[in-house]
Order: sequence, then structure tokens, then C-alpha cells
Amino acid sequence: MTNWLASINYITGKVGGIRKLILILMAALLGVTILLDVLVVEKIFDPLGYLYIALGTLAVLYGIYPLYTSRRLVGYYWERASQNRLAVAGLAFILFLILLALIGPFFTTDPTATNFEEKNIPPLGFTIEESVYHPETQQSISKTITGSGKHPLGTDNKGRDLLAMIVSGARISLQVGLLATGIAVALGTLIGVTSAYLGGKIDNILMRFTDIMMTFPFFLLLVFIVFIFGPNLAFIVLVIGLTGWTGTARLVRSETLSLRTREFIMAAKALGASDSRIILAHLVPNVISLIIVIATLSIPGVILAEAGLSFIGLGDPSVTSWGMVLRAGQQNLDTAWWVAVAPGVMLFLTVLAFNFMGDGLRDAFDPRSAV
Amino acid sequence: MLDHKLLEVHNLKKYYPVTGGLFSQHLGDVRAVDDVSFDIKEGEALGLVGESGCGKSTLGRTILRLEEPTEGQIIYRKTDITRLNQRELRGLRQEMQMIFQDPQSFLDPRMTVGQSIGEALLIHGVRDDKEREQRVIEILERVGLEGQQGLRYPHEFSSGQRQRIGIGRALILNPKLIIADEPVSALDVSIQAQILNLMLDLREEFGLTYLFIAHDLSVIKYVSQRVAVMYLGKIVELASRDEIFQNTRHPYTEALLSAIPGITQKKKTRIILPGSVPSPINPPAGCRFHTRCHRVLPLCHQEEPNLRDIGNEHLVACHLYRG
Ligand SMILES: Nc1ncnc2c1ncn2[C@@H]1O[C@H](COP(=O)(O)OP(=O)(O)OP(=O)(O)O)[C@@H](O)[C@H]1O
Ligand SMILES: [Mg+2]
Repeated sequence: MTNWLASINYITGKVGGIRKLILILMAALLGVTILLDVLVVEKIFDPLGYLYIALGTLAVLYGIYPLYTSRRLVGYYWERASQNRLAVAGLAFILFLILLALIGPFFTTDPTATNFEEKNIPPLGFTIEESVYHPETQQSISKTITGSGKHPLGTDNKGRDLLAMIVSGARISLQVGLLATGIAVALGTLIGVTSAYLGGKIDNILMRFTDIMMTFPFFLLLVFIVFIFGPNLAFIVLVIGLTGWTGTARLVRSETLSLRTREFIMAAKALGASDSRIILAHLVPNVISLIIVIATLSIPGVILAEAGLSFIGLGDPSVTSWGMVLRAGQQNLDTAWWVAVAPGVMLFLTVLAFNFMGDGLRDAFDPRSAV
Repeated sequence: MLDHKLLEVHNLKKYYPVTGGLFSQHLGDVRAVDDVSFDIKEGEALGLVGESGCGKSTLGRTILRLEEPTEGQIIYRKTDITRLNQRELRGLRQEMQMIFQDPQSFLDPRMTVGQSIGEALLIHGVRDDKEREQRVIEILERVGLEGQQGLRYPHEFSSGQRQRIGIGRALILNPKLIIADEPVSALDVSIQAQILNLMLDLREEFGLTYLFIAHDLSVIKYVSQRVAVMYLGKIVELASRDEIFQNTRHPYTEALLSAIPGITQKKKTRIILPGSVPSPINPPAGCRFHTRCHRVLPLCHQEEPNLRDIGNEHLVACHLYRG
């Protein structure tokens, strides 16, 4: 049992060892990209790239590294969560989606490449009759089109490969879902914990501000902002992230309030722990389970919001998202039903998967369901 | 016995403001601790007993400055610690520790118990992982667990084991004063004795001084040399254990003792306390106990009795014993 207390160094909230290394690496990466962006004319990273680095750092510092150092606790929760079949199925689908988004693009063609020779091809295993109008003979000829392995999911009315579009959409949906939720949850946690721990006037001000933010009809706000500033994915992510933290803040605040009266907080104080240690080493790790659940359950909402935006034609036109494909498919439902069905099914399954996993995690973390 | 005062408490008060209404007006105070004075000699175990809600925990926490005192003085080894700030207090925290009541809640569920105990060392500058590990293992073994169990999480232990861990965490800094806030009240009776014996052994071994809080008089009788009886934020009787149990003076103490058969040699009929404890927001005028007292005098409604020595270092706050 060598060094089994080493993980306390994480618990202290002090940056040391691996955590320091991660921070330095991330800062260096950020610095280099900013420098290159400024010096070299061509942009290397869009704003999403910076968000990725920032949230990735947070995720490693407060997610993956602590998960690693407390493997046994994670194992315990995994044991409990894995008894919920639906949650495991949800997790499997999410992993599949991530894989699809990460390595799918290497195996599919360009989702934006049009080819009018190969339009409206049905998915593999399906055959349709299509009437083709010949301008010269002024006659309609019925033509049979059979799906082929070249386009396993078929093509749309511009001959774009549906599989490539679905893969691209998975990427966009996960990007938007994870990044916007990341921003919202990080902000909400910070505001919630601070509000509860400091109390008094600061608590009052922060919570009234949260109330005001909550009354904003955020989808309308999103539509409005996109309408004014133009559709840009990074912008959409930012707006969803910066407006979506209110629910998290309230939940985290009430959880922190109840934690604050637990005797282990008093015990830490009695040992001489500072406020920052109590927040970082005791309060945050204890609300993390709640945060994971909130994050998992709010990702589907964000994905649907982006899809909705794309569906009504306010999405970023430079990327292919599910909402956009859904919109295109819905306009040609009579000639090519599969174009609407594929993104629809993916959205449905994704939302379901995150919800199942979120529910499973919530039950696993709930001390009342302990044996 | 050493006659060295380790801790002195002078006229200590802790009020919690009650606010309400549209503009959070100050409506009154919960007088959880109201003008309490006593001292503890080095090496002594002082028992503090009283019904639920009388302010025992608040008193203990206020002495350790886990709550800000409203008024009064706390003197630890001739140093006034009442107004020290948290940073100045940090050094003293090593010498004064607390053992908590609720085994479900005094350990951080997200830390291994080794981390929980080791945290104390870390805060007080033991940076070396190996040394911390060694000391955590030692203390775990001392309180009757195995060093290896430091790797486990609180949910893997029974309540009794957790209380041992809580004791270990309090002891690892080699404190002088331990405030034990009902350390056995949440445990099975069969385990209570084990934990109490452990605490008594440790007291010998480490030369500890205890402020031992309990609502159970038989527990108090077992562990303490002197006993303070608290009612509604005030100490009503304070004397050596033998005086309290054999020469009971205050009617409230009499009532408490009469509820436990066989705890005193004297045969007594059970005294039933009528009504319930009045609110600490609006304590009764005069003697706070007069609303429930079976030996109440007219004077008790008007004048609040002071804690007075009636000889033999027996202090009692009751008009029945005016000199
Ligand atoms: N943070 C607080 N804010 C307001 N009132 C409080 C607070 N803490 C305690 N009180 C009140 O102070 C009084 C004394 O509480 P305390 O917990 O000290 O009693 P106790 O003697 O330890 O009781 P128990 O045996 O139930 O532990 C109670 O009326 C309680 O409601
Ligand atoms: Mg108490």
C-alpha cells in the first residue's frame, strides 16, 4: 500500500504534481494557439477550440483525475449504476455516439458534397419507385432505385450521403451538448456554492440575479440573438451556456446549504481547515455527484435546442447538424422519407440515452437507496 | 490531581438572531447559551448534561470557536481566545479537538477514512506522504482498527467503527482538550461501553482533558469527575460527581436523576417534569425552570437565581439554597 494517501494532495485543492503538469500543458497549448492565431493570418482554431481547451482542462482537473484517484469509490458507484440496465444501455449508446463523432469522419465522405446523379437513393435494403420527368419527351418515366452499400443510409435530394451527414450531426450535437452544458454547469456550480457558503447579502444578490435570469425565455432570446448577429455555432454554444446555468445554480446552492450543516464540515473547521479548503476539498467533491447528474440530464435539452434552431433555419449553415438534415428531410418527406427519419431517430435515441444514464446515476448516487 | 486550569469560560453567551418578515427584521434571539461560566482543570473530565435543545452542542462549539461567541470570554491556558481570528486559532486547533455525535455525518463520504484522518496532519504541515501514512496507521491501530482499513470509505464501516475513526481523527494531532459531543448517543448500548472504555483508556494514555457532553446521566456518571447540569442555556448545578449523585440540590437535577432507577443509592420516587422545555427565544422570567419545578417558591417567578457555591465546591442556581 505504497503512497495510499497521496491523493490527499488532490483533496487539498492545492495544485501539485500531475495537476500542476496538466495546468501548465493546457496553458502552454492555449498560449501557442493564441500566438499562432494572432501571428499567422489563417485561423487555426475557431472560438470553439478555445472552449474545448478550457473545458477539457476543467474536466481533467475536477473530473477525470479525481475519478482516477478514487477508483474504489468510482467502482462502488459503477456497481450500483450498472444494476440499472437502461442506464447501461444509455451509456453504451453515448459511447457509440462519441466513437461515431470521433472516428466516423475518417470513414465517410464529405457530408456537404452534392451529386445530382445519385440523389434520393434509399438506404441499403430498400427499393423505391421514382417517376423521372424527361423534358425532351415531356413524359414521366417510372424508375426503380435500390439502396446500395455505397450509401448505407441513402442520399438526400441533392445526392449528399446521409451517413456522412449523420456522423457530422453527431459531432455537432455532442459538441454543442457538451460545451454548452460544460459552461452552464461550471458557472452554475460556482455561483451556487459561493452563494450558499458565503450566505447573507451575497447570497441574496446572486439568487435574485438567478431569478431574473430564469424568467428569460431563453429559446426566444437565442432566436433573437441569432437573428441579429447571424448564425454561428460558437455563438449559439456561448448563448446556451451563459443562459442555462440558473437551474444548476439553484440545485447546487440548496445541496450546499444542506451539506454545510453536516458535521464533517464542522469537523474540518475544528481541524483548522481554511474556507477555500472546505469549499474545494469537501463541498465541491460532495456536490460533484449532483453536478454529474444535472449535466447528464441537461445535455439532451441543449442538443434539442440546437436541433430546433437548425430546424427552423437559424442554425449555423457552415456545419451539417441533425436539425438541419431533419429540416431538409421534412421538406421532401414524400420522395425520400429516410432523410427525415435518420436524424429523427438519432435525436430520439440520444435524448433517451442521456436521460436513462442521468436517472441511473442519480439513483446510484442517492444515499437513501444504499443498502 | 493537578490544579491547573486548562480552560476557563466566563459569562459566555451565544445568541442566534431570529429574523423574518419582508425586510429580514431582527425579531429576537435564540439564547442557546446564556451566561455560562465554568472551568476545567488539566486532566479532568467534566460532564455536561441536559435535555435536548438546552444548548450543550452550541456551548461546545462556541468554546472551540466553531461558532462566534456573542459575549463573554474563553480562556485557554491563560490565553484569551475569544477574539482570535481563524488564522491565529489554527495553531491552537491542534490542542483542542472535538468528537462528534452523528456517525452518519461526521466523516466526509467522499474521502477514505485515511484521508479524513490524514487531513488533520496535512493542515498542520505534515507534508510528507510517508510520515502521514505512518501516523494514520498508528492511530487507526490505537483506536482498535487495522491500518489497512484507512483505504476504505465511511460507508464501509459500522457506526461503532466510525466513532472509533472520529476519535482517531481527533487524537492524531495530540490534543490536550477534547470536547466530546454525545459521542455514544447514536450507538447501540452494547457498543457504547466499548467506546466509553476506549475514551477512558486514551485519557490515561494521552493525558487528555475532557468536556464530555451527554444527555444520558449513566454515561456521565461513568466517565466524569465533575458534572455540570444545563437547562435552557444556563448551568443550574455544578459539582463533583459524588456531590451531584449523592447530594443532589437542584430540583431539575433531582428530576433527571429520578428518571433513572438505581443510579443513586437513595430510594426516590420518580419526579415527572410537567410540560415541555420552554422556547429559548422567550425564556420564562425569573428562574427559567420555575414553569416545571416541583418545589417552586413565589420568588422564583420574579428573580433569576445566580450560581452560588453552597460549600464543598458545590455550585447551584436555586432560591431554595439562599444563604
Ligand atoms: N445555527 C443555529 N441557528 C439558530 N438556532 C440554533 C442554531 N443552532 C442551534 N440552535 C438552537 O439553539 C438551541 C440549542 O441547540 P443545541 O444544538 O446546542 O442543543 P443541544 O443541547 O446540543 O441539543 P441535542 O441534545 O439535541 O444535541 C436549540 O434551541 C436550537 O434550535
Ligand atoms: Mg447537541
